Amino acid sequence: MSTYRKYWAFARVAASEAANQRAELYGRALFFAVILGVFAALWRAVAEAGMPLRAEQEKLVWYLAATEWILLSTPQRHMQIQDEVRRGDVAYQLPRPVSYPRAALAQCLGALLVRAPLLGVVAFVSAFAFTGRMPALQSLLWLVPFGMLASAILAELYVALGLLSFWLTDATPLYWVTGKLLFILGGLMLPLELYPRWLQRVALCTPFPSLLAGPGGFLINGAEQAAPLLALRLLFWACFSFGLVELLFWRATRSLQVSGG
Amino acid sequence: MNTALAIELSGLCKSFRVRRARAVTRLSSVKDFISPISEHVIAVDHVSFAIQPGERVAFIGPNGAGKSTTLKVLSGILHPDAGTAQVLGLTPWRERQKLGFHIGTVFGQRSQLWYHLPARDTFELLGHVYELSPARLRERLKALTEAFELGPLLDKPVSQLSLGERMRAEVAASLLHRPRILFLDEPTIGLDVSAKATIRTLLERQSEQDGATLLLTSHDTGDMERVCQRVIVIHTGRVVWDGSIAELRRGYLGKKRVRLLSERPALSFALPGVRLVAEAAYRCELEVSVEVTPVGRVIAAALEQGALHDLTIEDPPLDEIIQAFYRKTSYRTVDPVPVPTPIRVAQ
Repeated sequence: MSTYRKYWAFARVAASEAANQRAELYGRALFFAVILGVFAALWRAVAEAGMPLRAEQEKLVWYLAATEWILLSTPQRHMQIQDEVRRGDVAYQLPRPVSYPRAALAQCLGALLVRAPLLGVVAFVSAFAFTGRMPALQSLLWLVPFGMLASAILAELYVALGLLSFWLTDATPLYWVTGKLLFILGGLMLPLELYPRWLQRVALCTPFPSLLAGPGGFLINGAEQAAPLLALRLLFWACFSFGLVELLFWRATRSLQVSGG
Repeated sequence: MNTALAIELSGLCKSFRVRRARAVTRLSSVKDFISPISEHVIAVDHVSFAIQPGERVAFIGPNGAGKSTTLKVLSGILHPDAGTAQVLGLTPWRERQKLGFHIGTVFGQRSQLWYHLPARDTFELLGHVYELSPARLRERLKALTEAFELGPLLDKPVSQLSLGERMRAEVAASLLHRPRILFLDEPTIGLDVSAKATIRTLLERQSEQDGATLLLTSHDTGDMERVCQRVIVIHTGRVVWDGSIAELRRGYLGKKRVRLLSERPALSFALPGVRLVAEAAYRCELEVSVEVTPVGRVIAAALEQGALHDLTIEDPPLDEIIQAFYRKTSYRTVDPVPVPTPIRVAQ
């Protein structure tokens, strides 16, 4: 029980810190609103130009609001881990009676609990303001737990990325590659149904569509039918990412023991 | 292995594999990329020592001597290549998490406090990490707040604390779970004179109160003199001195500083082993190699030239002793030493 309490304490402290960094939080909210405004205008222009949009433009704005909400709520801890590995701070955290990667995940979840509600409100208000419409309330309610879980898995993948700093001098290039793959294969801006079939197949082999397009799709096609399969997929990717982080950390500490701090 | 000891190392060795670049030619970078060359660098070479519970020990050496590697082995972060180590009866690299409950660390250039939050939040977090009950955490926090005068600082964000205030909070945070051993790496680096003095006093007092063993690495001789009773010097991975600071002063250089305030404006000394360090009207400072010329002869020579108003005899500053020690030991090393008997380097 005390084990869970210590990770809960990490989450609480991270939540306090995220709440204290108001400028960053408001910056994210502003950026979010601007992005939604730009894309709402863009899709309106596309529709007015007579180009076909398989989904209604308002639905696309709500879709983007959902995927961006997941993405912007996700704490990206890889840079902090990279700094800690480079400076050697991680070595001094190892002697504590707490698992470093689990503490990192707990901190991500704490920050997520602060960011997600605020950005959720921004997403809702902005998307409603730009479209004048609201999706089915049920779909919105389904989106919340699935979006939060997707964000937590994404945060764990960033922890894994950070742990690669044990081997790489700089994990930033990998971060950029992962980011681009997430945007494209995850369907950040457009639902996967608009992609060519071969690209859809490729995307489905990665975790990214389950993290963004899956929950976002609730606002286009409804949630009831897609939810069970998506729940299974998210569960699989949650186990995968958790296992990956544990494996990387185990290998990393072994490498530290062999090659030094 | 003696389980009554706080720390016991025997024949500890640790080497690292480091990549070595080829001589610079046009193709060398390509070759380095395809087939890198690596070599073993010995960081710790048959290090042996034993530390009693409650002892305060300075672990010093020039940069790259092997201090941090030894500390990392002792805290369970690194596996040694050979030798044995016991910390509070536990093998650190096998029982790291268990050991974690009994050791604390302070690193002068790093912080364990959450930068944007009040120190109290970190204390509460550490209370959970070390599984302290709420009542125990309150009691410990109260005691440390009084001892370290943290009252007005606890609820201020760490980002608003001065370096001295932050270090007081850092040390208090490390002592929260009442560790039986505290590893300190440059705990006073960057602090002003009064903040250094405060930290040293607090460390000494807390160690005496809690009976905690301190193992301190520092390049500041003041930390060693004020806090520690014993010094272990490591150089090129090997222990080259293990004994008390007073013995290091007395036994190593065999030199004294003699300051004279004389009736005559200038004194002259043509004695072997006597060097004029500083001179002004009516005063001079000499460095005397006592093995060559006893101090008594120097004073007698001064009295022959006139009356003396004042006279002081001191050891040379510890900084100088240690610098000379490093210079001397860089030319030679000593054989591995048995534990736990304290050792002296043969002169």
